[in-house]
Amino acid sequence: MGDIGLIAQVIVNGILFGSMYGIAAIGLSLIFGTMRIVFIAQGSVIVLFAYFCFWLFSLLGIDPYLSLIPIILVALLMGAAFYYGLFREAAALKDRIGSLLIAVGLMFFLENFMTVVWTPNPRAVVTSYGFYAFNIFGIQLTLTRLIGLLLAVLATISVSTFLRKTLMGTAVRATSEDVEASTLMGINPNRVNAVTFAIGIGLAAIAGTTMATTYAFDPVYGIDFAIKALVALTLGGIGRVYGALLGGIILGLIELLGTFFVGAGWSQGIVFAVFLLVLTFRPQGLLGGASE
Amino acid sequence: MANQLLEVKNIDVWYGDFQVLREVSLQVEEGTIVALVGANGAGKTALLKTISGLLQPRKGEVLFTGKPLHNLKPQDIVDRGIIHVPEGRRLFASLTVLENLKLGAYIKRARANFDESLKRAYDLFPVLEKRKNQKAGTLSGGEQQMLAIGRAIMAQPKLIMLDEPSLGLSPILVKTVFELISALNEQKLTILLIEQNINQALKIAHQAYVLKIGKIVMSGRGDELLADEEIRKAYIGERVRKQ
Repeated sequence: MGDIGLIAQVIVNGILFGSMYGIAAIGLSLIFGTMRIVFIAQGSVIVLFAYFCFWLFSLLGIDPYLSLIPIILVALLMGAAFYYGLFREAAALKDRIGSLLIAVGLMFFLENFMTVVWTPNPRAVVTSYGFYAFNIFGIQLTLTRLIGLLLAVLATISVSTFLRKTLMGTAVRATSEDVEASTLMGINPNRVNAVTFAIGIGLAAIAGTTMATTYAFDPVYGIDFAIKALVALTLGGIGRVYGALLGGIILGLIELLGTFFVGAGWSQGIVFAVFLLVLTFRPQGLLGGASE
Repeated sequence: MANQLLEVKNIDVWYGDFQVLREVSLQVEEGTIVALVGANGAGKTALLKTISGLLQPRKGEVLFTGKPLHNLKPQDIVDRGIIHVPEGRRLFASLTVLENLKLGAYIKRARANFDESLKRAYDLFPVLEKRKNQKAGTLSGGEQQMLAIGRAIMAQPKLIMLDEPSLGLSPILVKTVFELISALNEQKLTILLIEQNINQALKIAHQAYVLKIGKIVMSGRGDELLADEEIRKAYIGERVRKQ
């Protein structure tokens, strides 16, 4: 019983942790889908928002979930600014190397910027309710992680609804399929790209807030997170919103179960072995057919 | 003087280092069908892409209802009333028929009259209403062409440019497409048409231009060109002999 209880605990933690990879992966998926940009800086942007959350909490005493509102607004603007300021020219090129290099440059810039501003020491947002947990059948569910999972699910549903039900969302899907044809419909590709980038960075803000409230983070944690998000994306299949979330959750499970059964040292190796196996044998992702 | 809807004046267009159009001029009179014929690689598609703003001319100008067009972005050109149905239809295969039609009416001016335009498209192609929730990629070739034209009229254009609308269709559907083009024209739509099927195209065209290696080498009424000895020999003759 003790063992089963412990495994259940690991599974629950894996799901909660993986949901963060999941929403980061949705952002990557959208940005890659419309602009063919591998936005490797996504992880560093998430850490940046974790710091924003940390600052608002420690300097102004604003509750992290309340600070989500201004942080998301800033994120949406920042996303549009990233597009117009950094990626607009590169996104128009056939060659993908330019945009990848810009993303790598942005990542290193953010890492160093954060190290200077917030020091390389790990930070965390420790609220009065941070250690509050529910005990269900012997499994500990931390409140902050539960809220993190809930936010991830809500964000995923919102993005999916936006893509399906609104004209702009339909335009985003059309642009990811055929930019030139959507241009001929009178769709301004720059506007679609800016909106997509804004949503991608908005999702990073949610992941950042969850990170700040559940784990300790430091300035160079971003790259690791971004690569995990890429793995999650591959597991779920590019272009699928729910698939990316599920891919993240599967990744979280692999990581934590690997740590539990094999050992922490092996868990990263297992993650990337699964990644390579999926790329080799199911490049379309673990879930489903050709496209959503 | 007839009312010219579209005037292309002496344009030079390049694909990178390669010149595809040389001093091309053409007029499209309001309410007519104009055919653009010529061999593959003659520059027909480049000419349509220049009009719709995907390519910019290095020299010359394009006027629509008397106003210059060649410095506008593609979305503004759609807004002015020109819609370009590209070769191969280029539907959004993973989107439903209805979503494709909605995007056809993406520009603000067309969005306001969406319901009216949708009814018009469904009246013209009842099969689209039947298949509205089906993905565009699952339609047959003929249905896809209907969707491409239906999507084009959703933008409430004055001028529709069709690039090879009969390509890849069965002979019966080819006939349907040409009947449809004439029917659209009767509804006061002006049409600029590229066709491999020169015989059929010249039959319905009021005016036609022949492009050869980036230059207009001949123009005239559709029936005149159809009767022209040289045209028959160069573009239609072979096919007639084979039959």
